[in-house]
Amino acid sequence: MANTTVQQDTQVKEPIISFGKKERKLLLDPLNDNNPITVQVLGICSALAVTTLLLKAVTMALAVIFVLAFSNLFTSLLRNYIPKEVRMIAQLIIIATLVTVVALALKAWDYPLYKELSVFVGLIITNCIVMGRLEAFALANKPWPSFIDGIGNALGYSIILIMIATVRELFGKGTIMGWKIIGPTSEYLLNTSSLSWLSWYQPNNLMVLFPSAMFVLGVIIWLHRSWNRKLIDVS
Amino acid sequence: MDLLNIFIKSAFIENLALAYFLGMCSYLAVSKTVRTAFGLGLAVIFVLGITIPINWIIDHYLLSENGLFGMDLTFLRFILFIAVIASMVQLVEMVVERFSPTLYNALGIFLPLITVNCAILGGSLFMISKEYNFAESVAFGLGGGFGWFLAIVAIAAIREKIRYSNVPAPLRGLGIAFIITGFMGMSFMALMGIDPAALIK
Amino acid sequence: MQKYRYTIIFVLILSAVSALVLAGMYAGLKEAHQKNELLFKKRSVLRSIEHMLNRPVSKMSDAEVDQLFHEKIRQYVLDAEGNILPEEKLQSLGFVEDPAIRIDRVKESKKPLEEQLFPLYVFEKDGKKYYILEVLGKGLWDLIWAFVALEEDLNTVAGIAFDHAAETPGLGAEIKDNPNFAKQFIGKKIYDQNGNYRSITVRKGGAKDPLFEVDAISGATLTCDGVTEMLYRGIKYYEPFFKKVQSNQIEI
Repeated sequence: MANTTVQQDTQVKEPIISFGKKERKLLLDPLNDNNPITVQVLGICSALAVTTLLLKAVTMALAVIFVLAFSNLFTSLLRNYIPKEVRMIAQLIIIATLVTVVALALKAWDYPLYKELSVFVGLIITNCIVMGRLEAFALANKPWPSFIDGIGNALGYSIILIMIATVRELFGKGTIMGWKIIGPTSEYLLNTSSLSWLSWYQPNNLMVLFPSAMFVLGVIIWLHRSWNRKLIDVS
Repeated sequence: MDLLNIFIKSAFIENLALAYFLGMCSYLAVSKTVRTAFGLGLAVIFVLGITIPINWIIDHYLLSENGLFGMDLTFLRFILFIAVIASMVQLVEMVVERFSPTLYNALGIFLPLITVNCAILGGSLFMISKEYNFAESVAFGLGGGFGWFLAIVAIAAIREKIRYSNVPAPLRGLGIAFIITGFMGMSFMALMGIDPAALIK
Repeated sequence: MQKYRYTIIFVLILSAVSALVLAGMYAGLKEAHQKNELLFKKRSVLRSIEHMLNRPVSKMSDAEVDQLFHEKIRQYVLDAEGNILPEEKLQSLGFVEDPAIRIDRVKESKKPLEEQLFPLYVFEKDGKKYYILEVLGKGLWDLIWAFVALEEDLNTVAGIAFDHAAETPGLGAEIKDNPNFAKQFIGKKIYDQNGNYRSITVRKGGAKDPLFEVDAISGATLTCDGVTEMLYRGIKYYEPFFKKVQSNQIEI
């Protein structure tokens, strides 16, 4: 988190909600130069287990956007009242409450999906991105920029998650969001139909297994750093 | 024998780091040298071994329907678990600082990191979903911690050596660490076919 | 002490507020949660006889599942001796609506065998009865379970639907994800000609016996062994009931 932009509260009177250059930077920076996953190496834990299917990854991404934006907002609102000694615990209570809200809502809204994501919704609590942003940004900034910062960082996380999930689902199952794209049509595994020109592809089971997430992420980092060369690790 | 079975299973087969990829943030951040990885690994064994049984007690005697309050309070699980973990980590830190300054110097900086290590909370949540009893949850905590310790020491040893290799510049550091972890995960998958019950017989 | 008072009060207020918010939300959504859990199970039951329904269960809306279930499926609760629990007994247990669906086999399996309850679903089509049983076992990582539909002879498998808590995606999870695995079970027998209990074995390296064996999924040996064990033990629990039906002691 060395190059994170920590801005102190300014005394200048500003409108509470505005969207200017500063906010745009807060929103877009985490998508590339300061991506939480590929640059800051935070929040990978939950990123890998839920990326076998795009639907799971998108749900997870939405959950993280909600939790990160609102925990940033609430922490920022309370920043002048939180006693220093219990800072961690107070932040964790805020995060855990929001995550439980997400879990309860998901259970009511889509139970099969809730079952599939199982413990990984709970693990958003220990997603280091959330804690990292609260410490590095929300504790020192006003509510509105904090809210934007939360959304920006969660979006940076979501983009990587969705990229990994797309690759894994497409090559692992031959589908995107459950729609058949490549591979033997009509029936899974058997019954190759000759009608589809993409039917030669046999879904590669390795892509569904856990380690492939690591490979895909490694390659994404490789591509990202070849393109954005200032991020190369020189140590 | 059942307990040994669970220990082996949680350490090797259901390895928290290499089968579930939990605790990756600190796993990657602190695995540059074997020395530091060793320290963090020990701290994780310690904290997992303590927090999982405590969380088991909380879940069974406070939150469950047959518990102290006689109603289903499972929606408070996340908050209480994370509070227990945070306070245990703080307590361990204070105790270690008071009684063993050398150990504190070795572990000290890693202890606060452990609160947000997904492997710790993940361990507690898996303990719930697997419906272990108390003794089993102790074995699961220690085994899970030991497995995580093995994984981080192994990757640190590999990363120490890989520094001398000719890795493409954009892949250096983080990128190659991910790919190596992927290979480690694949080799650990080979252990999935082991039936620990048959092994012990 | 003055210094700490604020800290303690702050933490207490924060915890109280969050506990209140969550309690409110939990109470508000409890009904939806329960409904979802029941629907989830109803879908699984229907999946076991999916090929006899006019459209796939995954394409049905929640309301359709609910309606189909109430129109086509009768529910019974059995005790360990194979007797059907009478209505009054179910009411005293608190199972008014959907009695069989409300039986939680995970909880039941922790009780001694004599006290356990078993759900039974009966589906009728074209004048034929199908009996659907629930079985529960252990896979590689966690629980696996299945609904087994038997034909009227209480011997031939008419369909099966597997599910699991956390099997490896792409390997063990194929028991649910790959429809061809479940399809293999259709037409298999659980008793041999002499009436000995055989159940169905998932055989690594390919089925040898056309009546009692199916192919395993490569790379998922432990999950498949779990399936074999689950079917053997799970279907056997219903044996007393089968005997009573065959000797006409019970009429369904």
